Amino acid sequence: MKLQRMRIEQLRQFRKPFVLDNLQPGLNLIHGPNESGKSTLVRAIRAAFFERYRSTAVDDLRPWSDSAAAPTIELDFEHDNCAWRLTKSFLQRKRCDLVVGTDTYSEDDAEEKLAELLGYQYPKRGASKAEHWGIPGLLWVEQGTGQDIEAAIEHAGDHLKSALNSMVGEVASSGGDDLIETVRSQRDTLLTGTGKPRGDYQKLEKDRAHYELEIEQLKERVHKYQEQVDRLGKLTHDYDQAELERPWDDAQRQLERARARYQQVERLQQQQEQEKATLAQQQQTHRLLQQNKEHLEGLSRQLEGRKAELDRAERDLTVAEAQMPAITGRLTEAKTAYEQAEKRRKLAGLLQTRARLEQDVRRLEQQRQMLGQNLAKAREYHQQLEQARQQARENRTDSELVGKLRATGNQLNDETIRSRTIATRLSWQLDADASLTLNNEALTGEGEQQLLEESTLVIPGVGTLGITPGGEELASTRRKLNTLEENLAEQLKALGVATVAQAEERLSAFESAGRAQKHAEDLLKSVAPAGIEQLVSEQNEAESELEKARRQLEATPKPNPDEDVPVLEEAEAALARASAALDKAESDAREHQSGLSALKQARDNAQTEWQRLADEEKSPERQQQLRQISADLTTIEKQQAELGASLERREREIREARPEFLRQDIERYQNAVNQLRQTQEQRGRELRDIKVRLEAWGAEGLEEQLNEKEAEYDQCNRRYQELHRRAQALDLLLNLLTEKRQALTRRLQAPLQKHLNHYLSVLFPEASLEVDEQLRPGTFSRGAELGQITELSFGAREQMGLISRLAYADLLREAGRPTLVILDDTLVHSDSDRLEDMKRILFDAASRHQILLFTCHPEKWQDLGVPPLDIQVSKELSA
Amino acid sequence: MPKILHTADWQMGRAFTRFETEDGAALVEARFEAIETLARLATENQCDAVLVAGDVFDAQTVADRTIRRVFNGTQGFAGPWVMLPGNHDAALAESVWTRAQRLGAVPENVHLALHPGVIDLEPQSLSILCAPLTQRHTYSDLTEPFSGYQTPEGFLRVGLAHGSVQGLLPDEIDSANPIAPNRAEASRLDYLALGDWHGTKQIDERTWYSGTPEPERFRNNEAGNALIVDVSEPGATATVTPVPTGRYQWHQLRETLAVHSDLEQLLECLSSLPESAVVDLRLDGSVTLAGEEALLKALSVAEARFRSLRCERSGLQLAPTDEDIAALKADGYVGEVVESLRERQEAAQDDVARDALAILAGLLREREQEAAQ
Repeated sequence: MKLQRMRIEQLRQFRKPFVLDNLQPGLNLIHGPNESGKSTLVRAIRAAFFERYRSTAVDDLRPWSDSAAAPTIELDFEHDNCAWRLTKSFLQRKRCDLVVGTDTYSEDDAEEKLAELLGYQYPKRGASKAEHWGIPGLLWVEQGTGQDIEAAIEHAGDHLKSALNSMVGEVASSGGDDLIETVRSQRDTLLTGTGKPRGDYQKLEKDRAHYELEIEQLKERVHKYQEQVDRLGKLTHDYDQAELERPWDDAQRQLERARARYQQVERLQQQQEQEKATLAQQQQTHRLLQQNKEHLEGLSRQLEGRKAELDRAERDLTVAEAQMPAITGRLTEAKTAYEQAEKRRKLAGLLQTRARLEQDVRRLEQQRQMLGQNLAKAREYHQQLEQARQQARENRTDSELVGKLRATGNQLNDETIRSRTIATRLSWQLDADASLTLNNEALTGEGEQQLLEESTLVIPGVGTLGITPGGEELASTRRKLNTLEENLAEQLKALGVATVAQAEERLSAFESAGRAQKHAEDLLKSVAPAGIEQLVSEQNEAESELEKARRQLEATPKPNPDEDVPVLEEAEAALARASAALDKAESDAREHQSGLSALKQARDNAQTEWQRLADEEKSPERQQQLRQISADLTTIEKQQAELGASLERREREIREARPEFLRQDIERYQNAVNQLRQTQEQRGRELRDIKVRLEAWGAEGLEEQLNEKEAEYDQCNRRYQELHRRAQALDLLLNLLTEKRQALTRRLQAPLQKHLNHYLSVLFPEASLEVDEQLRPGTFSRGAELGQITELSFGAREQMGLISRLAYADLLREAGRPTLVILDDTLVHSDSDRLEDMKRILFDAASRHQILLFTCHPEKWQDLGVPPLDIQVSKELSA
Repeated sequence: MPKILHTADWQMGRAFTRFETEDGAALVEARFEAIETLARLATENQCDAVLVAGDVFDAQTVADRTIRRVFNGTQGFAGPWVMLPGNHDAALAESVWTRAQRLGAVPENVHLALHPGVIDLEPQSLSILCAPLTQRHTYSDLTEPFSGYQTPEGFLRVGLAHGSVQGLLPDEIDSANPIAPNRAEASRLDYLALGDWHGTKQIDERTWYSGTPEPERFRNNEAGNALIVDVSEPGATATVTPVPTGRYQWHQLRETLAVHSDLEQLLECLSSLPESAVVDLRLDGSVTLAGEEALLKALSVAEARFRSLRCERSGLQLAPTDEDIAALKADGYVGEVVESLRERQEAAQDDVARDALAILAGLLREREQEAAQ
């Protein structure tokens, strides 16, 4: 396909007609600055093919604010040695005309023809979008989308494949992909992606399982029902049979027989017990009687014992009494011996007394004599003593007082001397009848008196004279003298003497008397230490004693001198011996006597006891009792023997009846009766239960239900099997179709790869780019680099995109399809080296395809070797 | 001149599998209608009694409605009916019969022979010697006691039993419920009415199987009749007349298709069958795509015409000819798929491949038809 001419009018900024002429079959470089209409030209070509002429979604084609415009595009191109002219107007004048050689198509026919030629489709409504563009979408690259190869290939899809089918020499199935889709959609109604049932198929599978379950359950219930029916049959049979035979009645009869038998045995046992009790009672009675009898018989034995005891006591007594005279004799002898001994001792004692008395007499006589002498002397001495004492008494003076008197006398003398010297001497010589009273003291004669104190001298018929001794000393002397005189007087008076000399004399006499008294006392003492009276009484005593001794002596008979008289000691010893013997004899006799008494007592007791027993034994009641007891015993023993025999007999009877077995029999028969009845009742109950149950179950019509369910299951299963087979068949079909189609695709891979490698070797000499099963450039490898094309830089991706598109163009050309390559300002991201390579590639490709290259950078493409086509210039030319 | 209508094996309560729901229902309904038909026939032929020789019911536990409908169906004949329990409806301790009695569904003129013994129908001078099954299976001859049964003087002795006459029926050797082949003679019977065998079958001149009044199997064994038995007097020879009662005829066709004429023959055969047919078709062999198309079309017509048509074609291979494939325009890889499926089908007898091929052919055919329009 070679575009030759293009004319547009009333389209965006091209309000006037614009013609692009002289387009070359190879490379065409079309340039113009921004806003010059370069993109509008590209859009015009696309609109001419992709947009429906009657589309209302192409307002963008309208010149600005020109609502009356009818954007028109006119294209002339050559394909397959045929001239094609397409004229398409939009909006205000919707038209499409196509002239192919001599054929003319218009409107939809024209559009379908174009779509078939280029391999694209129209949108159902609205503006054409990338997914509708088909093959042109792959070859016509819009600004900035050169790298986006995958989507373009996908959109090319079936167009591409059917376009390429001729390549592999086979006819690709016309509509094969639709077929696959149909099969897939039919399969997918039955199966999931992983091959699991879905939808009706799945539901049927479930229903089927459900039915199976229901059927299983119904079968189970039918089975149960039948079992119950069988059970009912058997039970009814058993029940009726049992009602007929009534086995419990037999058992009951046997039970009653066993009970009667057992009751008999029980009665026997009771009797046995009673008799045993009776026997025990009798035994008890027997024992008691026996005891009584023994007791009564015991009396006689006791009596014998007592008799023996009595005899023994008598014997003992007799023996003791027989000993009596001997003992009495011995006592008499002892008494006699004693008396004898006593007489001899008395005699000996008498003799001894006389001897002592005689001796006493002599001694007393001597004593009396001596006492007489002493008495005489004592009396003499006593006299002397009395005299001395008299003497002393008469002259009793106190030597001390005498001393004092002597001192006082001396003192008085001294004082008197002194007073005489100083005292008023009153001397007097009085006529014989004349008296004076001095100091009331009649004075007569002559005398002198020394006055030492005031004195009154009364001279009868004269009066009274007062004398007062002079001087102080005189007063004290006179007082002293008075005192002394008084003292002396007192002392003299006390001594009872008149003078001092007398006192002296008396004193001396007293002392000599004292000495004589002493001497007399000593003498008296030597003879009568206890005094004379003592002596006298002693003498009297001795005298009386003597008298008494003499009288005793005289009273004491004189022993017969012929008689041999032992000495007292011997006699006393003999007496003591005789006394002891007597004591012994007396003791023996006493003892014997008491023994005898005891024996007598014992004998008497024994006698009493014996007598009592003897009386008792001989009593008639006892005899009667004993006889009665014996009789009773005999009776009882007989009865016992009978009872024993009866017991034994019955015991054997009981034992033979086997009461424990009878009991077991009763239990067994009882159990049997109960069990049989229960079984029957149980049967009856079960019968009723089963009947009720069966009626309920029967009402459900289980088997009919089962039949119906089985029919339903059968249908379901049939339908399921159909779907199952269909699903399997569809699955198989889909697999086969897909497989075959992939095989086909794989056959297209190789040529595409070949073309791709052709371009790639220019760009990256060492690299490779794999084409996948969907015919997309996939894995890119360069040296050690390995990766998806999408991972490359934008520039590289754009380059890859371009060479892929060129490779497709080559492939399509080989398949005899039209190839027109339109590039709108492409490769703007390539560096100069890469761009250089790309220019070589483009140049190469242009030798096979017409390429329209629109750019606003003509300077970059100067070395492309083709004359650039300036839009501005063309505009001017067109105008 | 007693005249008896002899029938058996009603099998009421049976549901039909392998049929579409409405077909099954219609077949069930036909069995109820058969009872009415029997009643009508008995009346029309002035029969003295109707004897049903077992298997009135197909099962012990059928719906109450079924029980009632069965007895309702007997209303058309007012004379005595004697129904004998068979192996399907044995007189067990609890049975469909006891249930029917409890329901009060049994009319007075219907005698249930639930116990072995004689039922004397005095007005008709008929003694019916009954050998009901009282267990599901018995292995002794229940008709044995017939010989000992005393019947009134001048009464016909008619045996009524259900089981297999020993040594005479195919595939029934050692089967349960045996009946001695000479029972009628041995027990001095004027007639022995038997049930269990679903086809009408004569054993000897006095012994018959009536067969089921309405067929319910594909085995073509003369089902769908009742017997009118006419015995002029005790000891006289019985005149037995089969009367058709069935509504639907069951046909089973097994065909092997090899060449095109086989198919034509089959289609002809199908078109010759009456509309009341219940058809079971089993095909094997192989058929071309064109042949299959023709077959499907014919089956579609037949389905609408017959009471029921079932066709089993899994044994029938598809053998597309080159013309077939050309006609389908199965080009490119689709053609390869067709070929591949054909090979698979032939090599491995692969049903799935056959089905897949049929589907593909169908799709292609549709596509062609669309294209043609």
